[in-house]
Amino acid sequence: MDPARTPLGRMLLDEITPVVMVIRTPLVEEACRKNGLSFVEMLSPFCSFSNIDVPVRTASDQPYRIQKFKLRLFYASDVRQPDLQVANERLKEVITQAGEKDLSNLSSDLPQVDELLSSSESEILPSWFDFFNKQLIRTMSFSDHEAFDHPVACLLVVSSKDEQPINRFVDLYHGDQLPSLLNDGAMDPKILKLHLLVHDNQDGAPEKASKFLNEMRSTFGSNSSQLLCINSSQGGLVEHLQNPWAPFKTDASPTERLGCFLNIDDFNEIKNLMQDLASKHVIPYMEEKVRVLNQQVSATRKGFRNQIKNLWWRKGKEDTPDASNGPVYTYSSIESQIRVLGDYAFMLRDYELALSNYRLISTDYKLDKAWKRYAGVQEMMGLTYFMLDQSRKEAEYCMENAFNTYLKTGPTGHQNATRSGLWWVEMLKTRDQYKEAAGVYFRISGEEPLHSAVMLEQASYCYLLSKPPMLRKFGFHLILSGNQYKKSDQIKHAIRTYRRAISVLKGTTWSYIQDHVHFHIGQWYSFLGLYDSAVSHLMEILSCGHQSKTTQEFFLKTFLQTVQKSGKACEVMRLPLPVINSSSLKVVFEDHRTYASSAAAGVRENIWHSLEEEIVPSLHTARTNWLDEQSNFISKRIKDSNICIVGEAIKVAIEFQNPLQISIPLSDVSLMCELYVRSDDADSEANSSTAELQNDETTKSIADRFMNSDVSSFTLSNVEFTLEGGGRKMVQLTVTPRVEGTLKIVGVKWKLSSSVVGFHNFVTSSVKKIQKGRKKNKPSPADNLKFVVVKPVPRLEGFIQSLPEKVYAGELQQLTLELNNKSDLSVKNLKMNISHPRFLNIGNQRNLNMDYPACFEKKTNGVEQTFPEQTSNVLQNVFLFPEETVVQGDTSFLWPLWLHAAVPGKVSLYIILYYEIENPESFMKYRTLRMLYNLEVLPSLDVSFQISACPSTLEEFLVRMDVANKTSSKNFQIDQLSSIGYQWEISLLQPTDSLYSSPTLMSGQAFSCYLMLKKRKRLDSSEGNGSRSLAVSDIQLSTEGAGGMMYDISLSPVKDFHNVERLQHGDSQEGDSKTVDFVLLSRPLNRETDAGVSDGPSLFSHHECHCSVISTSPISWIVEGPRLIHHDFSTSFCEVTLKMTLYNSADAAASVRINTMDSSQNVGAQSSDASTLASGNQAGWYYVSLDSELKVTSDVSGIRMKPPSSDNVSPFVWTGSSSTKVRLPPLSTLAIPLQISVFSPGTYDLSNYTLQWSVVLSDNQGNYRETRPSSGTCQGYSYYLTVLQST
Amino acid sequence: MIVCIAVVGHQNNPLYIQSFTEADDALKLHHIVHCSLDVVDERVNNPKKSGPLLNETFLGLLYPTENYKVYGYLTNTKVKFILVTTDLDVKDADVRNFFRRFHAAYVDAVSNPFHVPGKKITSRTFAERVSTIVKAFGLSSAG
Repeated sequence: MDPARTPLGRMLLDEITPVVMVIRTPLVEEACRKNGLSFVEMLSPFCSFSNIDVPVRTASDQPYRIQKFKLRLFYASDVRQPDLQVANERLKEVITQAGEKDLSNLSSDLPQVDELLSSSESEILPSWFDFFNKQLIRTMSFSDHEAFDHPVACLLVVSSKDEQPINRFVDLYHGDQLPSLLNDGAMDPKILKLHLLVHDNQDGAPEKASKFLNEMRSTFGSNSSQLLCINSSQGGLVEHLQNPWAPFKTDASPTERLGCFLNIDDFNEIKNLMQDLASKHVIPYMEEKVRVLNQQVSATRKGFRNQIKNLWWRKGKEDTPDASNGPVYTYSSIESQIRVLGDYAFMLRDYELALSNYRLISTDYKLDKAWKRYAGVQEMMGLTYFMLDQSRKEAEYCMENAFNTYLKTGPTGHQNATRSGLWWVEMLKTRDQYKEAAGVYFRISGEEPLHSAVMLEQASYCYLLSKPPMLRKFGFHLILSGNQYKKSDQIKHAIRTYRRAISVLKGTTWSYIQDHVHFHIGQWYSFLGLYDSAVSHLMEILSCGHQSKTTQEFFLKTFLQTVQKSGKACEVMRLPLPVINSSSLKVVFEDHRTYASSAAAGVRENIWHSLEEEIVPSLHTARTNWLDEQSNFISKRIKDSNICIVGEAIKVAIEFQNPLQISIPLSDVSLMCELYVRSDDADSEANSSTAELQNDETTKSIADRFMNSDVSSFTLSNVEFTLEGGGRKMVQLTVTPRVEGTLKIVGVKWKLSSSVVGFHNFVTSSVKKIQKGRKKNKPSPADNLKFVVVKPVPRLEGFIQSLPEKVYAGELQQLTLELNNKSDLSVKNLKMNISHPRFLNIGNQRNLNMDYPACFEKKTNGVEQTFPEQTSNVLQNVFLFPEETVVQGDTSFLWPLWLHAAVPGKVSLYIILYYEIENPESFMKYRTLRMLYNLEVLPSLDVSFQISACPSTLEEFLVRMDVANKTSSKNFQIDQLSSIGYQWEISLLQPTDSLYSSPTLMSGQAFSCYLMLKKRKRLDSSEGNGSRSLAVSDIQLSTEGAGGMMYDISLSPVKDFHNVERLQHGDSQEGDSKTVDFVLLSRPLNRETDAGVSDGPSLFSHHECHCSVISTSPISWIVEGPRLIHHDFSTSFCEVTLKMTLYNSADAAASVRINTMDSSQNVGAQSSDASTLASGNQAGWYYVSLDSELKVTSDVSGIRMKPPSSDNVSPFVWTGSSSTKVRLPPLSTLAIPLQISVFSPGTYDLSNYTLQWSVVLSDNQGNYRETRPSSGTCQGYSYYLTVLQST
Repeated sequence: MIVCIAVVGHQNNPLYIQSFTEADDALKLHHIVHCSLDVVDERVNNPKKSGPLLNETFLGLLYPTENYKVYGYLTNTKVKFILVTTDLDVKDADVRNFFRRFHAAYVDAVSNPFHVPGKKITSRTFAERVSTIVKAFGLSSAG
């Protein structure tokens, strides 16, 4: 790439060009002012030549041609180093202007990082950077340490109106007016002088001017004298297309008047004049000078001899004390001449020549420690290398060297360092070394805030443009730059840089940096008065949970202040504080389903469905009914959407979260809804289509409209609360439609700290939610929050009075169901279904006013109170209220309920109440009321029964009852135990008094007692309480309390609950003879009542059902016979007859085989026992206690097999048939005679027999109770027989 | 002295940033860490600079700012560790050693079954362990 075409090349060709110093008389300036231009400005457009085509010959003999050329014109007064202060002011002005221009962009959308990456360099970089850099470089011009700013020629201009123009010419180039460069000897005062006479054509014909010209020619020589006629246009109306002067005017005056008196002739004349000046005067003069200087330099410095001499001479000078900038070089010194030679050669594009001279001089300056000059030469060397496009390394090395050397020279050098830095940057950019360029920018950023801000910003763009882009550094430097802009009060620039930085940070999780950026942009915007933008940025930092508490408070305060400053009611879409948990959105609305409590509404629909199935007409028919009646009215769309009723609230629960550590006050939290009054279908379609628009403006306008106008058609609930730091709160909001139509819930709004209104739109989020399937009952997602509002229908409200939250197991309580109907219309056909009949049962209306629990006491006066059975009302589980029941008006309808806490644990009672609406025109035929109560049942008494057959008697059983008090603090008094069953009669083994020392059971206490269960005679059961009531036998266990009153458990609620319990435990018939049910009644002793646990008099009933009386074997038997026999063995052996009674408790017939064994090894049972007993201790006989019997029978398989003794002959033999087989019909007894023969006196254990039994199963009983064994073998019981020798 | 230590996830999201200065310069350190990610990216994408060791996790001196030196370390799961120190002459071996210990601590922290990968490390144990390592580094480099 041609270096001259690169940006740096173009810049150098623009900036390093010969300077022509202009000295003019005031009248010249006056003539030009008519055009709104100064003289220099007038000539400036014609100073650059794109195709001058001049042959140039410098040091070498080979001429070359220059195409592009440029002259720089300066007034003599400007040829000096610009004042730093002024220059800085000017730079500031440039930046401020640029900032103003950018203001329009400030409110535009945030830039995207992708856009930045895809756009080209020129689009990204603000255009004023170039201009700024150029201005910055210009502040360093006319330094005495470099020669390219030294005027090459001097243009003396005199007006034809001036008196004695010739003398004026002489006066002009004189003394004081000349710049210091010429006066203090830094440059050769003998420069090329050109004389120009300016004639204003408005002042008359140019004859006079021609006369002066001739005079001038004779005085100064014809070559250096020129005439320029201007203002040829009389009218002053010359319009210039693409006004050539416009770019050269720096101030913002209107450009159209510029050059209005200059017509095309003037134009051409100026053009020719300047071309003439450049090609005929400046360039030849420079050529000449280069050649002369080159000769001088060659003479004094080139060649070996000169070099040695120079070195030696310089060394000698080393002792002289150093001035800070090295020695002063006058124009006549060889160093200055070399420098001039180099610069002229550079300007004439003879870079080889320039480079060799720069090299030559650079060592000299270095040796002289003239650091500034050395740096200047190094800088030019770098540029020359660049223009030659050789040795990049050298070029960069030179630039860096120059840069560092300038920095070394102290504060004044910083300016120069900046310039060389900028050139260096351009050089690097040309070579695509953007990263390095950014580094250089960073180095030249310096101390001064504004300056460094611009440099840092340029550095950031270099990072962006580097390959691959370093976005984070881009962002970082933008922020640094913005910070500096802010320091120098360039807020608009600061905002611009920060906004660009956002594009980098967006979507990342570097929240600290993001907060910083947004917070400052917000502050600056509010400083500028752009409160809307400020608020939108400050909003980004509101949910800053990661910041410290003080920072959070500060952010929130700033935000609220900004909102207040903005002065208007601030309504913000998607205010991030508090956070709305969209997935928590729950909508509860009531169509034909109504809910008694919000808890009931939270229950899954299918639970209700299963309960509803039995009482509600099927869904399909219900729908059809609606359609039949109103099919022409309700379109299909409406049929599919949700239905709600005028005057009934729709509840929406939504969770608010506070991400901050500080608490935030929220007020006016309410729903945003829209309600279209349905006039016809077309209208509603149109309305709904407008509602589909979901962009922010529409929603906002909807919100506005809703808040202002539509309030009358529905009412909203208003919630106010304070969210604690880090807290979350479920908020329930309601909307109650007032008229029929279509209601749509749009979103929720709230007021933060009573100043900022935030909105949250549900619809955008609800779609996602439905996909998760969290929504309760919706067919089509889009219509989720859309409701068809229909005419009012009656709605029952119901609750159960005084239902406790916690009860003890077994507790029996009377409750009342209260129903209210607020509407004028009545309802009928009430039905009720309860999910847990074990816990809750429906009473009889007559129970309502009964005294509980006294009503259960058995009436001793004989007047038996009987309750009519309600089986007619019970359809499976469904309870039908009497036909005549009508709930209407203000009176509440009461109905008794019974609560029985059956088992410990937590239980949810679901109750569904169905009712029909009397008004046939109603939209709905029926509604249901759903009630939910959660009950916690605490364990109280733990009752268990163990039944075992009594071996001594048939059809009698021993019952062991274990009662343990599992409560922590409650004491119970056990009142009564009842057995239920036709055949059973329970009785105490011993009288009550002696059995129990204490009839009460303290907490944690347990006790057991034994009871006797007998089979009742058939007679009793048949003439008992009749088929429908329970056969009960009671025993009273307590002696005190209740006045010895017994409770009648055959009364309704206890009996009902008992039936349910029975169903719960199994499906066997009530009359099952093998099982028995027990009911234990007890009362709590009111010592101290626990909070929350039910109070007052109550009764506890514990039901234990299906206690089996059957042991593992269905066969039981008993051996009867004499226990003590006196016999005279001297006469004969003794024969003893025994009777064995067998009982079959199985349902089926059983065959039993009795095997008697005489062999000693099988028997042997009596051996040791019998012998020890026989050996003497006859007095020790005793009756075998019941306890041991019980033990043996309860554990048949556990019988010890006594070790067989071999040395004993069996003293008795079974004399009956050794094996008897009998068949026992089910549930029957059979007696079998047995006989033994005893040969000697003694005590004998007659247990050496076995019973083999097998149940004969009939076909239909094949799988009945498979767990029971169908056959088995039993070892005989011990039966001790004592035979004594009779005397 | 170590000024700041940071763990940055493979999507360049900060997982853990802890500064060890009293001054309120958290923002500055965030910026420094954030910027150094550019250099990490550069190192990773131009493997020619990283030399012959392909599996080298230690990235070396990322860039010297005015007052700080920033070192980097890249785990096999593309998690970056950034160390910002004010010591001007730090031995590479010390830094390597530091990173090795820090890596072990990190691995233990993310092995916690309650840690959600890709989320910020909130373990208090990890923080304590890191500060011990940091203190140890200060001692070793001082002595």
